[in-house]
Amino acid sequence: MNPVAQAWAYTLARVAGLAALGVLLGLMLGSVIAGLLVMLSIALTWQLFNLYRLDYWLRARNLREPPNAGGIWGQVITQVVRLHRRKRFHKQRLLDVFRELRHSTAAMPDGVIVLNANNEIVWFNRMAMRLLSLRRRVDIGLRISNLVRDPRFVQFLDKADFSAPLEVPHANRDGLALSFQVVPYGRQQRLLLVRDVSRQVALESMRKDFVANASHELRSPLTVITGYLETLVQDTDIDPMLQGPLGEMRRQSDRMNAIVRDLLELSRLDAGDAEAAYDTIDVAGLLAMLNKDVTARPRHPQVLLSIESPAGLLGDEAEVHSVFANLVENAVKYTPDDGQVSIRWWVDAQGEAHLSVTDTGMGIPAEHIPRLTERFYRVDAGRARTTGGTGLGLAIVKHALEHHGARLHIESEEGVGSTFSCYFPARRVWQGGRQSTIDAAR
Amino acid sequence: METADLSHHISRRFNEDLEHLRGRALAMGGFVEAQLAKALTSLYEGDSSLGESVALDDLKVNGMEVSIDEECSRILATRAPAAGDLRVVVAIIKAITDLERIGDEGEKIGLIASRLASMERPENKYREIKHLGRIVSEMVHDALDAFARLDAESALRVARQDRLVDEEYEAIHRQCITFMMEDPRTIRRVLDVMWVVRSLERIGDHAQNICEYVIYMVHGKDVRHTSLEDVERELRAKGSQP
Repeated sequence: MNPVAQAWAYTLARVAGLAALGVLLGLMLGSVIAGLLVMLSIALTWQLFNLYRLDYWLRARNLREPPNAGGIWGQVITQVVRLHRRKRFHKQRLLDVFRELRHSTAAMPDGVIVLNANNEIVWFNRMAMRLLSLRRRVDIGLRISNLVRDPRFVQFLDKADFSAPLEVPHANRDGLALSFQVVPYGRQQRLLLVRDVSRQVALESMRKDFVANASHELRSPLTVITGYLETLVQDTDIDPMLQGPLGEMRRQSDRMNAIVRDLLELSRLDAGDAEAAYDTIDVAGLLAMLNKDVTARPRHPQVLLSIESPAGLLGDEAEVHSVFANLVENAVKYTPDDGQVSIRWWVDAQGEAHLSVTDTGMGIPAEHIPRLTERFYRVDAGRARTTGGTGLGLAIVKHALEHHGARLHIESEEGVGSTFSCYFPARRVWQGGRQSTIDAAR
Repeated sequence: METADLSHHISRRFNEDLEHLRGRALAMGGFVEAQLAKALTSLYEGDSSLGESVALDDLKVNGMEVSIDEECSRILATRAPAAGDLRVVVAIIKAITDLERIGDEGEKIGLIASRLASMERPENKYREIKHLGRIVSEMVHDALDAFARLDAESALRVARQDRLVDEEYEAIHRQCITFMMEDPRTIRRVLDVMWVVRSLERIGDHAQNICEYVIYMVHGKDVRHTSLEDVERELRAKGSQP
């Protein structure tokens, strides 16, 4: 028999025994009912007393020292103790896991902040506290944008486009740069990761400075060399044997000059604001001028200029000029003299402006297209040398277009020709009228 | 707790309105902070275009002030807030005025910076202005932090900093006079520098005002035109009461 059944049998037997004793007592005293009543009330009192003890014990919450009780009461107490132990064990295990988790997030080298749907702070770790000078406990429940008030950060949170992290210099500590990244999870919860990127930013700016300074330093000696070469080439007293090499030297020094110029232009684009200015640009005039430059050359392919919209652009004139000039120059360079270059300018129904430059040149193999805008990228080494390009033209185009929120699209078929198209967003289009100028100024 | 005042409302909409208003005021504060930082950078680095852009962007600050003001009036008219909520709205109305002034001073610094950029820079590269500029920027930042946290104690601490700003101002003033006496050719430039220092000193005053509004918002006590020691004593007494 198992102990539970045993306990039940024991308890029932006791009650039955007491009842029998009551009947016996009643028979002796003449009233069976009274005897039974007395004995049963003793039994009831005993049960009630045990119940009281159980209640008292549970209330006292001192589960270490269970009361001694026999029969079914003892069984109940054992069950309670067992239940409690099991619960405590699970709780402890959960707590351990939780604590472990919290310690590991707290020790993370990046700042971690948990935000709710209203961007209110739910939790943050030690690093976040240090980087954003948050205060433990006080700042829980505050909106993160109330404490990190940098306009760029506030805009970043509002826009809710978290595809790319945001980098901003720290407000009150010089030389410290922070990168913010938001990871949405769960029910409208957000994880805000804060990283100290001062080192990367410093390295990046060192790299940029180096390129800019190096190009600048190269310029002065180059100017001297070019100057002397120019006079030497024109000097008729020089041995005709040297004329060939001198001419080549001059061409190469011209090319070096062009490379240095483009490098400087690129570093200027790198250093500039993320968003170009909104000056009005007369695109039709600009294209006509570029067309005239090309047709003035002794040998050039046929150029078809079709301007289908009177609209202009709002942007940085020098940058837009360099975009258009580079595209036209490339097309002319890679098109044989019996070929054709067509330049088209139009505004589509959505208000976006397009410039496309199509040539009938040799075309570009598809695998090279995605890498064309990299600095010094060559489709094949032979090509550029003969045409004297710098290898930086398309990189400049890409950067300058990014400044204007525009993008470059390249289509090409080998042996047939290529099309380079720029898409300018509607906000960059200048309708040319007086009203639109006022709108633009807003 | 003070923050609980903001979260115990029968009407949840009202609660959200107030939070939104506070958020906008602080966003304006953040913009003004950034303006000030840019203006100072344009001065230190002689970047005239940055200085000009600061001056141009002051229009945005003005726009923010007007629209936040409108929203405050709307809340006053439609919700008729009382007690703590009323103090929040009133404090915001006052704080944005000071923020707008800080923006104006920033604009001035930006304009002067773009003018100074074309002139020869002093040998010490504005070291003393840098020091003052840092104190003042931190004051503005900490004042807004206190505003966000409704933290009267730090507000008081920030307000006390203003004395440091005044001392620094005096010192630079004297130094500038010496410069002008030594070499009258620098007078033009030094006068411009004086304007910048003056603006910074004013910004410190405005930051102090914002701190006073924080104390008002939290304790319902108007501490303008009272000495800081008195304020502190009173707040202590208040804090020790049950």
